[in-house]
Parts: sequence; C-alpha cells; structure tokens
Amino acid sequence: MNLAHLHLLLNHFPIIGTILALGLFITSFIGKNDDLKRSALIIFAAIALITLPVFFSGIGAQRAVRKDPGVSTAVIDRHEGAAILAMFLMLITGALALIELWRRRRIVTEKPWSGNLLAILVFSLLTTGVMARVGTTGGDIRHPEIWDVRDVTQETGISAFVHMFEPTPSKFTDLMLVSKYWWAFMMDLHFLGLALLIGTVGILNLRVLGFEKRLTGASLHRLMPWALAGFGINVLTGTLAFIGMPSYYAFDVAFWLKILAVMLLGLNAAVFYLTDAFHSVEQLGSGEDASRFAKLIAGSALFLWFAVLTLGRYIQSYADTIPLR
Amino acid sequence: MYILRGAEKTESLLGQGEALVPPTFLRSIEDSGFSTWLRESESPFAFYFVLLFHTFGLALLVGANAVMDLRILGVAREIPLAPLKRLFRIMWIGFGINAFTGVLLILAYPTKALTNPVFYTKLTLIALAIWIITLLRDRVFGDASLDEIAMMARGATLAKWSLFLWVGAISAGRLLAYTYKYLTYPC
Repeated sequence: MNLAHLHLLLNHFPIIGTILALGLFITSFIGKNDDLKRSALIIFAAIALITLPVFFSGIGAQRAVRKDPGVSTAVIDRHEGAAILAMFLMLITGALALIELWRRRRIVTEKPWSGNLLAILVFSLLTTGVMARVGTTGGDIRHPEIWDVRDVTQETGISAFVHMFEPTPSKFTDLMLVSKYWWAFMMDLHFLGLALLIGTVGILNLRVLGFEKRLTGASLHRLMPWALAGFGINVLTGTLAFIGMPSYYAFDVAFWLKILAVMLLGLNAAVFYLTDAFHSVEQLGSGEDASRFAKLIAGSALFLWFAVLTLGRYIQSYADTIPLR
Repeated sequence: MYILRGAEKTESLLGQGEALVPPTFLRSIEDSGFSTWLRESESPFAFYFVLLFHTFGLALLVGANAVMDLRILGVAREIPLAPLKRLFRIMWIGFGINAFTGVLLILAYPTKALTNPVFYTKLTLIALAIWIITLLRDRVFGDASLDEIAMMARGATLAKWSLFLWVGAISAGRLLAYTYKYLTYPC
C-alpha cells in the first residue's frame, strides 16, 4: 500500500460523508429531532478530520499518475485547486459543528434556529457542492473517455464560477514560501497552539488519572474551548505549512505517523464523549477517583498527544523516508 | 526542493572582510567530541532527541503556567484556584528539563546561538517569565489568608505579563531557527 492507494481509499469519505451528514442535519429540522442534529454535527467534525489525510495523500497519487504521459498536469492541478477550496470549507464546517456541540451541552435552547446553525447549513451546503466538484475533477484525471468537452480545463458555466474561488496550487505554495518571516510566524503560532493545547488537555487528563484530586472534573472540562482553539490554530498552521512544502511532508514517515496519532486522538475523543466515561468525568467531585475506563481514555490521550509532539519534532530528520516509485 | 525566500545562508557575508570574527572559544566548544556528536550524529537520540525534550519542557512549563494565568484572569471560574498550586511542580519540572536541554543545544551549536542577538532576547524574556512565576507563587498562592477574589485581583497583572512574556519567549525561540548569522564557526 502506498500514498496513492491511501488517497483512493479515503477520498470517498469527505464526499459521501458530507452528503450523509447534510441529509441528517436537514432532516433534524424537519423532524425537530435534537439527537439527529447532534449526530449530524459529530459526523461533520469527524469528516473534517478525515479530510486532512485525504488531502495530504493526494501528492502521492499525483506522483503515481504523472508517470502516465497521457495525463496532463493541468487536469491534476484543476483537481488539486478544487480540493484545497473544499478542504478549507470542510474545516470551517467541522469547526462550526464542534462549537455548536459545545454550546448544546451547556445551553438548553427552545429556539430551533441560531446564527451558528445557519452558518453550519450554509458552509455544509457549500462544502457538499465543492466536494462534488473535487470528485468529478479527480475522476476526470484518469478517465478522459467520460469528458463531456474536448478540454475539461476550459471551465464553463457554474464550474467557471466556482473555479474563480479555487487557488492555483503552485501559486499557493509560493505564497507560503514568500518570506522566511511568514514561515517563522506560522511555526510560532504552531508552537503557541501546542502549549495551549497540552496545558489545557494535560491538566484535565492528569486529574482523571489522579493528580490533585481537589479539582473537579466538570470545572476542568470548562477549559475545553481553549484546547479546541489551540487545536484549531495548529490544524490551520499545519495545513498551510503542508501547502508550502507538500513533498517535504508527504514523503516523511514521521509526518504520517503524526497524522495517524491525530486520527487516533479523534477516535479517543469520540469514545470519551459517546460513552459513560464522559459522565463519570463530569461528575468527578473533589477527592473522588475516576472510573478505570475514564483513566484508560485519559492515559491514552496523554500518550497520544506526546506522540504527536515527538513525531512532529522528528519530521525534519525523517524527510524523504517514504520512497518515490 | 523548496526555497524559502530570505533563508539562504548568510555566511557569504564573511568574504567581504568586514565581518567581525566570533570569539575562538566558540570553535573550541564546537570541536569537542560531544558537541560534534550532538550535531553530526545520525542517531535519532542525538540532536533531535535533545530538541524533543526541549519541546516537552516547553509544553509542561508554558502549558501549566498558561492554564494558571487564564484561570487567574477569569477563564473557567468553576475551577477552584488554590489547588492549582500543584501546577508549580509541573512548571519546575518543565523548567529543569529546558535548562538542561538548553545547555546541550548551546553546546551543539555555540556559534549559532551566541552570535545571535535574538538568543539573548529569548533568555531575558525567560528570566522575566520565571521571575513572574516566583511572584505568583509567593504573592498569590503563598498567602493562605486570601480568598479567590483577592487571589484573582492580586494575580491579574502578573498573569497578563506572564502570558505576554511566554508568547515573546516562544516567538524568540522559533526565530532562532531563521535568523542566525553563522550555523557553525566560520573557517
């Protein structure tokens, strides 16, 4: 299995996942079903996370398909430009969904609508539409027999309109490398995000494991928006850095293990919030011991965050460890 | 191959005859076996291992301090303030790791670090941030007679300075990777 396989395997999730979640989301308003709404929000967030490796593995597929003289670079660039736009829309949708999930936990609202819900609807509709374009432009790369015009890179109609918002991949890359101070600034934000994330997530996990039992679980859980802010900063700056030097990261074994650890952290969070581990932590009073299950989740989260740090640190020394074939 | 604009090596400056020659003790350190090993070894347990622990230390020290600062400034008020005293222990562990690994990083690249003004800026910011930690410990958490409101009132300015200084120290540290004049002693 190589990056091209990974790309072909994972690329269906963002396209089908957004359609599925959007369907559930709209149905939840018609049926006035809050559980359905919550499910849709969780799927939006999960799909946003999975979109990252789909995007990062694209360059492996590009390298593989470029060996075929019948494939033009312009057709690949068209797909990549669409993919960059779709990924950022998906990340915005996922971030808004997480904010909504946080708010729903705190406030029981009678109002069926809010600005945030409307924003999620708008961004998920945009994401679904642009994802469809990513799928079709991706299919066009290897299947000229289905092209409906002689040259698909000459956009017309609605495609031409969407195309105006799609970045040119090589220009985006150059932009990220325009100055060493811009790069230093992104890396700086990545480290500030790291400190914020580890600090807030760390104290909650340590408490669950038994550190300073006078602190209650529910009170420490109030730090979660700050942890998500740190995570959001790092997803954004990390993705921009990837766009700046795609083949530096994509052919690095430490980078892929780091992404795997981030995916496992997503799974860890899902297990935490969707099982009774969460209630056990929310009800963790002063002096009390957390359940063994909650401790297992907290311990593995701490381990995985430090694995993310470690693997991130070793990206530089493991460049070009995935062979190009 | 990616070219980051402005990040080309500046060692060509030397040929101009005007550049000051760095003190020779820097070369002596660099020539030592340990420094050479740290810098040049292919082992994953050499330079990058030290750098990794420097990052762990940062996460513990700044992460714990930031949580304390945010709570003093009114974030997540449900968290009882006094028990956060335990965070000082995590901060001191982080600081210990970073003082030790920091010395190793200087030993690996003495010329790179010590000829860069940003390095001294970073050390100054860290010294001030550590001083703020001792003030938080003595004035806010050291006085058992204070209630939460009084602790927050007394710690607010310190907490703001603490966050500001850590942002500065981390930023200066990151800049070290991009602003050095010499990577190693110029021959």
